[in-house]
Amino acid sequence: MKGITLTALALALATSTHATTLKWAGTTDPQTMDPHAVISAPVLGFLNNVYEGLVRRGKDMAIEPALASSWEPIGNGEGWRFNLRKGVTFHDGATFNADDVVFSYLRASSEAADTKGWFAPISEVKKVDDYTVDFFTKAPNPIFPDSIANWMIMDEEWSKSVGATVPSKEEGNAATLQTNGTGVYALKKRQPGLETTLTRHNDWWGEDVGNITEATFTPIKNPATAVAALLAGNVDMINPVPIQDAARLEQNSQVKVHKGIEARVIMLGFAQQAEVLKYGADKGKANPFLNVKVREAVAKAISVPAILRTIMRGNAEPASQLVSPAMRGFSEAYAERPSFDVKGAKSLLAEAGYPNGFSFGLKCPNDRYLNDEAVCQAVTSMLAKVGIKAELDAMPVRTYWPELRKDNFDMYLLGWSPGTFDHEHPVRFLASTPNSEKKLGSWNFGDYSNARIDELLPMIQSEIDDTKRQAMLDEVTGIYQSEHAYVPLYIQPLVWGTGKNVTLVQRPDNFFILRWASVN
Amino acid sequence: MFNYILKRVAQSGLVLLVVGLVAFSMFRFVGDPIDNMLGQERTVEDVERLRTELGLDLPFIVQYGRFLGDAVQGNFGVSYRQGRPVSDIIIERAPATLELAVVSAFLAISIGIILGVFTAIRRDGWLASVIMTTSLIGVSLPTFLIGIVLIYIFSVDLGWLPSFGRGEVVQVGFWSTGFLTKSGWLALILPAITLGLYQMTLIMRLVRSEMLEVLRQDYVRFARARGLSERVVHFRHALKNTLVPVITVTGLQLGSIIAFAIITESVFQWPGLGLLFINAIQFVDIPVMAAYLMLISVMFVTINLVVDLLYVFIDPRLREGGL
Amino acid sequence: MFNLTLPERLDRILKSDFLWRLSRSPVAILSLLVVTLLVLGAVFAPWIAPFDPYDSASLDLMNGFTAPLTENDFTGQQFLLGTDDQGRDVLSTILYGMRISLFVGFASVLFAMVLGISLGLIAGYLGGWVDTIIMRIADVQLTFPSILVAMLIFGIAKGVMPAEYRDQMAIWVLIIAIGLSDWVQFARVVRGATLVEKNREYVMAAQLIGQPTPIIMWRHILPNVLSPVLVIATISLALAIIAEATLSFLGVGAPPTQPSLGTLIRIGQGFMFSGEWWILLFPALTLLALALSVNLLGDWLRDTLNPKLR
Repeated sequence: MKGITLTALALALATSTHATTLKWAGTTDPQTMDPHAVISAPVLGFLNNVYEGLVRRGKDMAIEPALASSWEPIGNGEGWRFNLRKGVTFHDGATFNADDVVFSYLRASSEAADTKGWFAPISEVKKVDDYTVDFFTKAPNPIFPDSIANWMIMDEEWSKSVGATVPSKEEGNAATLQTNGTGVYALKKRQPGLETTLTRHNDWWGEDVGNITEATFTPIKNPATAVAALLAGNVDMINPVPIQDAARLEQNSQVKVHKGIEARVIMLGFAQQAEVLKYGADKGKANPFLNVKVREAVAKAISVPAILRTIMRGNAEPASQLVSPAMRGFSEAYAERPSFDVKGAKSLLAEAGYPNGFSFGLKCPNDRYLNDEAVCQAVTSMLAKVGIKAELDAMPVRTYWPELRKDNFDMYLLGWSPGTFDHEHPVRFLASTPNSEKKLGSWNFGDYSNARIDELLPMIQSEIDDTKRQAMLDEVTGIYQSEHAYVPLYIQPLVWGTGKNVTLVQRPDNFFILRWASVN
Repeated sequence: MFNYILKRVAQSGLVLLVVGLVAFSMFRFVGDPIDNMLGQERTVEDVERLRTELGLDLPFIVQYGRFLGDAVQGNFGVSYRQGRPVSDIIIERAPATLELAVVSAFLAISIGIILGVFTAIRRDGWLASVIMTTSLIGVSLPTFLIGIVLIYIFSVDLGWLPSFGRGEVVQVGFWSTGFLTKSGWLALILPAITLGLYQMTLIMRLVRSEMLEVLRQDYVRFARARGLSERVVHFRHALKNTLVPVITVTGLQLGSIIAFAIITESVFQWPGLGLLFINAIQFVDIPVMAAYLMLISVMFVTINLVVDLLYVFIDPRLREGGL
Repeated sequence: MFNLTLPERLDRILKSDFLWRLSRSPVAILSLLVVTLLVLGAVFAPWIAPFDPYDSASLDLMNGFTAPLTENDFTGQQFLLGTDDQGRDVLSTILYGMRISLFVGFASVLFAMVLGISLGLIAGYLGGWVDTIIMRIADVQLTFPSILVAMLIFGIAKGVMPAEYRDQMAIWVLIIAIGLSDWVQFARVVRGATLVEKNREYVMAAQLIGQPTPIIMWRHILPNVLSPVLVIATISLALAIIAEATLSFLGVGAPPTQPSLGTLIRIGQGFMFSGEWWILLFPALTLLALALSVNLLGDWLRDTLNPKLR
């Protein structure tokens, strides 16, 4: 151990006094370098170091100026005007201006772009002059600037010259493998699935930069291998640290553990429209989950503190609603979660006409969320104690989503991280009646439906007054909470590990922003 | 003779077709690639559109036909995950797996033969029994556990060897090699041992039993009776005669080394074809899975064919037989 | 010698110096003892195990991660080998897990043996195009490395079978998958022996007096390949148990609600760096003891029966 560290040190001293490199590992390789092709945390998180948006999120997740130096509403909620930053250059030296913004809008809202949903409220984008762009919205949209923090600007000329004017997931194009952003780091070498190296872009416009000049990302799938790599000093940072290893690593003098709370809420969902149960010994019998008392009994039967203590090792917090308290629009009025109450659960079941319980099927992913399968096992045994027997079927996500889409479940586990960091996001995706035309409820697998929530959502979306907006969000929360549309369990923890000499900032969206990291 | 070869080649082609069909029919059960390709905010229309674009809504037999048609022209399609030609990816990954396979095969063969000869000559010695017994430990634990335990001891605890990856590689043309750097060699040690352990045990046992067999033969007894030294008897006569079956078995095992590399590579994050395959399964990257399975099949079938043909050359009886 | 029936042949093996040789080999005796003990433990698990790990209502999550022979901080309960992340008694999960591992092992070897012997006999005896087809199928089988075969079958079965049967089905799929990847060895040995035996005079004589083909094959050829088959079967048993564990690592093994030894090891390796060594160590040691003893027995059998194995 010592020998290697010393050699590494000697080498580092010998080669350069300035070069500081950082090696980091995560479970998933970003599948593309195209910022508009796929909305997924590994892609957006990685590319936030390379590309920039008009706005960006600060260390506390608040929106702050990036490529736009300021913005203001147009008229009475007709849209937003963005004043662009001057003197910004792309990695290839080209100057950033309004044309790039308009181009990036067209690109990111094109049919093949995953990001097009972000621009659904937009009716038109107009270039006013070289450094001013107007975004007109179909209805007043107070959260539009918040919703585009991950919309990254590409250079029009470059994109056209390499033939990447629209993103392509199926065939791939130049932008899948190469980048040309304005961010602090430029892509030096990209080997998909193996290794991606970033190098410092010296002409970056901003300040507040750590000392890392070169950074290499390697995906390591097996968690034990990643922990070993950190302990052996082969990497400087891993994300995530398996929750169970956090306590042990904290005692190790060679490494540091960084803990936080992620934006993701883990919850249970129910089949809310199905007439009959689909699994278990009571298959074909009437669906008990249509009864709100049964859903409430489930909420009471689960001891979230026990799950947090053992499976999450005290690293997570209980959840009361579809978002965590750190999100905009969190409802303080409904911050209480049903307490663990076996007797109460049993009597609710008896009231609902199931004094002897029943048997049903619980679907669960086993490679999507932290310790997801173990949580489902624990839920199964807790539900068994009040007499309802869950038949657990755990599977990898590659088969999980298709099963949920086909309504093959009685109860299921879901995690939700709001991309906009706003309560409206899960209400739109999880609590609205599914409506593919309006792009509502697209992850509401259980078909939960409440007319009042459907009525409130568009009003929330266009309400500019924060107090009124919050009042409506409170009302929505009250409805889905009292109807036990979902059983929110806990907020997923964020656990990163680094070498002792690394400092960094851990953002709740689980993005590793290299600019804020330093190796000492 | 020529007819026979022709027949065997045709049969091998048929085998490949069947393998491809079986593999292809499996893909629809592995999962749905669409969810991995679209993000959180996808709509039902996006799903349907992408499915049509990828041709996943076509009947399975049509998809297979398309795949075969393209594969014959050397085109394995574009990876769903990486958005670039599968053939490029395979060429990029193959050196890592082949270098690992070659080194572990070399370890397995050399150590296997040495220990095999030793345990045969000292059949009743205590050391030979100890070797025989301990070598079984390597095949009595699953590969992944052995790999993890090795990492724990040699990377984490002792800090002697890297815990993952290939170390520094040098690009020689299209081939990336880890043979030219010290870190490349260091990174190879643990994965090569993990992968080669099973084959080593196998070869050691084979050599031992073949040796014992040969040592009982008359000509060996004559050699001894003629007063040749034990050394000459063991190595000039006995070992030479055990090598033919050893080579055959090793040849057939080469394929399974590459298959078992799947596990070793995912434990050590070794950037080879096995890791590629495991990731392809995770993301339902059908073009990559199909290409990998076809590649492995071609390799196995070729090995099989070569072994069979060699037998025909060696054994004249089979040449005239009704095969 | 050549026209003995199967029971006679077995009888002969037992009456020969077989038992005497066994008594001379301490390693073999020890191995036999360990295997017997473990098999008994597995068979009588429901009576021996202190807890029923399948009864989810009896589990208390607060018991999770209790170290061996120490009191749990919350419940005050003690467990001989500690508990896992779900609060399950490790000793009980090992006993039940062994049941599954052994069942999968024995059943898959039996399946491979029946399939391999029948196909080998048919191929060798009938020859011609039947032989060609069977041996080409064997090639296809060899083409696909065992773990790939198992993964393929597992994937297909998961897709085809209705979801409610999946948990019970997983074990049968494992058996078929491992068995299918293993039959070729048996078939090759039996076919080889059949090719040699079928031209011998006694078989021709049997044909002349009009004995039906299946009976000739069964009664005259099978006894002659008994020794190699026995050795292959023993070694295959160890291989099958390990193969099941490997498949668990790849996520296609027995489900965690009804864990096999392999599943326990896969779960346990997640706790290797977290300090709960007992969750990995005890299942791993059990698997090692089991597979090692079976392998040693196989070794000893090979030496004792001295078949010409390639």
